[in-house]
Amino acid sequence: MNAISNIFRKKITETLSKEDLETKEAGMQLKKEINTIFGRSLSIREVDAGSDNATEIELVNLTTPHYDAEQYGIAFVASPRHADAIIITGAVTINMAEAVKKVYEATPHPKLVIAVGDDACNGGILKGSYATLGGAEAVLPIDWKIPGNPPSPKEILKGLLALMQSIRDKK
Amino acid sequence: MNENDIREKVQRLLKGKVEQYTITRGVNQEYYCSVPQKEASHAIAILARDEFELTCLFCVQNFKETGLSMIHVFEKKNYAQFLILEYTISHRSPKEAESIALLFPSANWYEREITDGFGIRFPKSFDQRRLFLHESYPEEFHPLLKSFRNKKDAAKPSKKRKLQPYPFKPVEGEGVYQIGVGPVHAGIIEPGHFRFSVIGETIANLEIRMFYKHRGIEKFAEGKKPEECVALAEAISGDESIANAVGFCNAVERISGLSVPQRAICLRTIFMELERMYALLGDLAGMVIDVAYPVGASPFFMLREEIFRKNETMTGSRFLRQIICIGGVTKDVAQESLHDLMQCTKIWSEQLKDAVSAVKSLPSVTDRFESTGIIRKTLVRPLHLTGPIAKASGMFRDTRVEHPYGMYTHLPIARKILEKGDVMARFETKAVEILDSAQLIQRILMEIKSSEIKTERSIKDGCALSVVEAVRGQNMHWIQIKDGKVERYKIRTASFCNWLAIEHAVMGNIVPDFPLINKSLNLSYAGTDL
Repeated sequence: MNAISNIFRKKITETLSKEDLETKEAGMQLKKEINTIFGRSLSIREVDAGSDNATEIELVNLTTPHYDAEQYGIAFVASPRHADAIIITGAVTINMAEAVKKVYEATPHPKLVIAVGDDACNGGILKGSYATLGGAEAVLPIDWKIPGNPPSPKEILKGLLALMQSIRDKK
Repeated sequence: MNENDIREKVQRLLKGKVEQYTITRGVNQEYYCSVPQKEASHAIAILARDEFELTCLFCVQNFKETGLSMIHVFEKKNYAQFLILEYTISHRSPKEAESIALLFPSANWYEREITDGFGIRFPKSFDQRRLFLHESYPEEFHPLLKSFRNKKDAAKPSKKRKLQPYPFKPVEGEGVYQIGVGPVHAGIIEPGHFRFSVIGETIANLEIRMFYKHRGIEKFAEGKKPEECVALAEAISGDESIANAVGFCNAVERISGLSVPQRAICLRTIFMELERMYALLGDLAGMVIDVAYPVGASPFFMLREEIFRKNETMTGSRFLRQIICIGGVTKDVAQESLHDLMQCTKIWSEQLKDAVSAVKSLPSVTDRFESTGIIRKTLVRPLHLTGPIAKASGMFRDTRVEHPYGMYTHLPIARKILEKGDVMARFETKAVEILDSAQLIQRILMEIKSSEIKTERSIKDGCALSVVEAVRGQNMHWIQIKDGKVERYKIRTASFCNWLAIEHAVMGNIVPDFPLINKSLNLSYAGTDL
């Protein structure tokens, strides 16, 4: 056993019986974009500013075997210090506004801010409540929106792909 | 079935001890007992002595007469109906009420909630700090009063005001140090603050602070048409969308005397059990991930994703949203799809059993699970703990059995309880719940017949209590409709009560076990903060 035999050996893995080709294709394209724009990896810090938790569940699902977003270069990181991008979910509540701003400040420049889910995009169902300030735009500059109630993992992947393409087009 | 009559019981207890009281029947499974304010604490003390359990305590403005009414919802073992004891604080007297938190420990959060919402003080209470209104809200701001008109920026924090930090309970002594965690956590989870006081590695005390996600749902519902509020109920907590939508609709249907077609009841029950399955599968996966064994978690995640996809093919929504409506369901599910579900639940059950035994055969997992985060049985009733947590701590709590509704009046629910109350017991209980849900679905699929899926009828005025067994335990909805609009919508999710258990569960454990204990409870922040 040496390094070369490791490469040519048959891989110990099983194919998923219900693989979704559309997701896979979007993922592979996303990987290409991330490779060129971010040098192989896009590190994301997720912040819940007041969601109903459905969007969080779908973001967690991105890391599970059916999607395994890490294979496309996406990593959810534990600290804003390690992040290239912040994902905000939920309409920003008064009680969370301060914490959201601190996360933004703690993330190194240059950084992307992505609003995921209807609530973060435009204030959603609780727009006009005394307790929310509105969508993520109310407290932070937003670079991209991925709408949905909640968006499915596939829609989130496609949204990230569209964001990468828009960055490349600007260059 | 519990055939005991709570009305007779209460009459026997109060007779000769409380001078004025009236008991009237509500529209669902509740009785309203009205007492004058001066006799209320005496009546409540009598109920407390007879082991009544506080289901919820909330306030309603202009309920029967002008003024603020305190509504106490009680339940009692072996009684299916609820007792709602209410008294009105006269608008002439000071806005004060007597604290009942020494009789019912769970009342403390309710009382603080009422102080924030309505400005009623509890001068003798041991804890009078604010609850859902954090520092940035102005003083004397009480959003649930009718005089407050809900609008954006009504409570926008002024930049000039100097904020006083929240006073956590001090824990002092030699070698005690504090660890503050949150509101923003390291994973993809909801925000909340945990204040640990630690000696060495051992947790000596934990104080939790929630309500970072307070969105003002209860106030937002007021003045809306009931039909509009179904989506709001779905937004209470993502993975309890169906349970809350059904809880809300049940109450409105009872107020309006609306009977739901049999097929719609069957479909609703199937959806509720599917929701339980996917949500609890996430709990199992999370616990295994938190002891650093992701390979063992993968089968749970894969099953969960298959349920999400099945939900989508059946209803068009992975979270089963927009399928429940007042009077039934919005659309029918194709017969082939239901037939396929039967096969799926059988396959899922087998796969789940394999995955559970694979995890439990590993000493590195069982070593972390066993004797970690124990919740004692004696806490269950005082804190009103419900759902899998209570079942893992030696007490059978299940709204589907204790207060049956819909199809649960005749469906057999697994009665398994475990005694130890540790993470392992919760892991096993949740696995059993999922298997039981799969069996329930199979049973309903054998019964389901084609029929109408929705009853159309105008909505009447009135009020009703509705309880449902959501993923995490008993969720309570109380709705008052006036002039065809929602006048008051009180929601109390199982998480609201169950959260306090974590402060006890972590005592004597080490800090690194906290994420595991937290995951084994997996409570909803959104459903608590509202």
